Amino acid sequence: MAKKNIKIPLLRKASKSYLWASMLLMVLSTIALFFYVRWLLKQEVEEELFSAEARIESAIKAGQHPGSLSPIIEVNEVDELKTAFTKDTVIYDPSQDEMELFREFSTYKNINNKSYKISVRVLVVETNQILWAIILSYIFIIFLVFVFQFYLNKSNNKKIWNPFFYNLEQMKKFSLLSKEPIQLLDSEILEFSELNKEIALLSGKVRDDYENLKQYTEDVSHELQTPLAIIQAKIENIINGPSVSEVQFNQLASIQKDIQRLTQLNKRLALLTKLENHQYTHRENIDITDLTAQIIANFNEISTISLTFEKTNNIIAKMDPYLAEILCNNIISNAIKHSTHKKPINIEARNTLLSVSNFGLMPIANPQQLFTRFYRETNEFKSTGLGLAIVKKICDLYGYNISYNYIKDHHCFLIDFAPPEAARK
Amino acid sequence: MKLLIAEDEISLQQSIISYLETDGNVCESASNYEDAIYKVSLYDYDIVILDINLITGSGLEVLKQLKKEKKKAGVIIISANNSLNDKLEGLDLGADDYLTKPFHLAELNSRIKAVLRRGKFGGDENIVFNEIRVDTGARSAYIQEKPMTLTRKEYDLLLFFITNKNRVLSKEIIAEHLWGDHSDLADNFDFIYVHINNLRKKLTSEGAKYIKTAYGSGYKFTEE
Repeated sequence: MAKKNIKIPLLRKASKSYLWASMLLMVLSTIALFFYVRWLLKQEVEEELFSAEARIESAIKAGQHPGSLSPIIEVNEVDELKTAFTKDTVIYDPSQDEMELFREFSTYKNINNKSYKISVRVLVVETNQILWAIILSYIFIIFLVFVFQFYLNKSNNKKIWNPFFYNLEQMKKFSLLSKEPIQLLDSEILEFSELNKEIALLSGKVRDDYENLKQYTEDVSHELQTPLAIIQAKIENIINGPSVSEVQFNQLASIQKDIQRLTQLNKRLALLTKLENHQYTHRENIDITDLTAQIIANFNEISTISLTFEKTNNIIAKMDPYLAEILCNNIISNAIKHSTHKKPINIEARNTLLSVSNFGLMPIANPQQLFTRFYRETNEFKSTGLGLAIVKKICDLYGYNISYNYIKDHHCFLIDFAPPEAARK
Repeated sequence: MKLLIAEDEISLQQSIISYLETDGNVCESASNYEDAIYKVSLYDYDIVILDINLITGSGLEVLKQLKKEKKKAGVIIISANNSLNDKLEGLDLGADDYLTKPFHLAELNSRIKAVLRRGKFGGDENIVFNEIRVDTGARSAYIQEKPMTLTRKEYDLLLFFITNKNRVLSKEIIAEHLWGDHSDLADNFDFIYVHINNLRKKLTSEGAKYIKTAYGSGYKFTEE
């Protein structure tokens, strides 16, 4: 598993496999060459020995006695004939004054009715030296070729793959927000050219789809507003009309409530879409503590639940002011909505943390789903089910950490306004 | 008072007209861009209610035309678009208010009155209803010229009631006026009831029993 996760850059991978293949080839060819040359040399030596022996033999036949030239040539008369043999032997060489390795060929011949043992020897050291000279120069040459090839290959690869790497960078930079089409480097290589075409096609399609979806969501929420406005206006005219019964009025009022809910839902969905599309790019320094204090003052005017606010310092966050307001509003209004027994709500600003806690009899059953859109624990409240999803989306947008805990009969939400880089440290 | 309702949705246009005409206003209508341009350059209105998306053109162009001709009409934009930019653009061009669809007619009515009250249209900052006088400049209310001590929400509520006198206001309409986007909160704990009750007590203690319950759960501010 771990091996799968290791990613190697293309060029290094290519160089690496080239390196391994060349290394293997080099070793194998050197070994083959070694044995082949050794065999050749041995053949050569033996041929030399045979021809020397033949010459001695013909000299003896001609009546000359070549005599001995130890250790190169030895001719002795022997009593019986044995089979010929070749062997390696170590003999004292008086000219070198040391023990040397010789290749020896001995044969027994009956010439002119006399039995001779003819031994010819060749110094092996020389052939060994030749062998090693050949092998070493071979290694040297092949190594040079290999190094040259390696760098040539590398620079070639770099040149060939350059459009690919450039386009990869372009794709990394690709953003749906910019209207510019993706700029790709063309290549003479057919596959790269095809890849470019596909990328251009895909990115164009992605952008079109994104635009369509965005337009669709905007259109839907936009188009819904007008019929809702008509329904609402008509209901108001009916309510103010002459012949409405109490039952009818209550039903109409209930329809008004549902229209209101639908309107809210519409607005919040549009907001969520905008958040998902990263359409809020404006950022300024917002004093979250001040903002929270203002929002609390507003809520205190409309709500009978008391809100307590403790602050030790001012939290400054760099974000869109509109989103900052929605964030604080939603997290507090959520607490108000779900505060059981009208117990007070505690809000606290400390360091970079904003905590909002309200009394609750039981912890949330599925805390992992708390920030999912349309997740509700009960149907008791006619909420849109989007408030916390929006809170989460805003936090995600800026990399703020939000957590939920159930501590001492209290639902506690904690938002950390520390910028994500600082939080990691 | 003469109003122009420039709205291409005939249903909505007619509903607005029939609501506003009960107060004795004269309402004219324009159902498309050309009609709106034609009427604003030909006639004078106190208030123009302008839809941004008129079927054949933009309401903002009508607004520009109005400003070019230095017409004194107050302009309230109604738009299906909730985006902040549209709102700012409209207000920058000189609109007096901006309402997002859907809105309550009572809300539109109170916005119209607010625009009219502002000095530049020669309006009076005081609204008088029998012994009650609301000074919208100072945001204070008097009963038989005796200042009333009202919270901000109670003041808003009283103003909303008086500008929509003789009309039935459901709790939903009131909640949305006072609470805006948080009106769903008001629903859960009956906050409205608390506020209305407090205001009603303050008025009745001075003998002003104008807040009447209508159809059990609605309210009506009336003399009757």
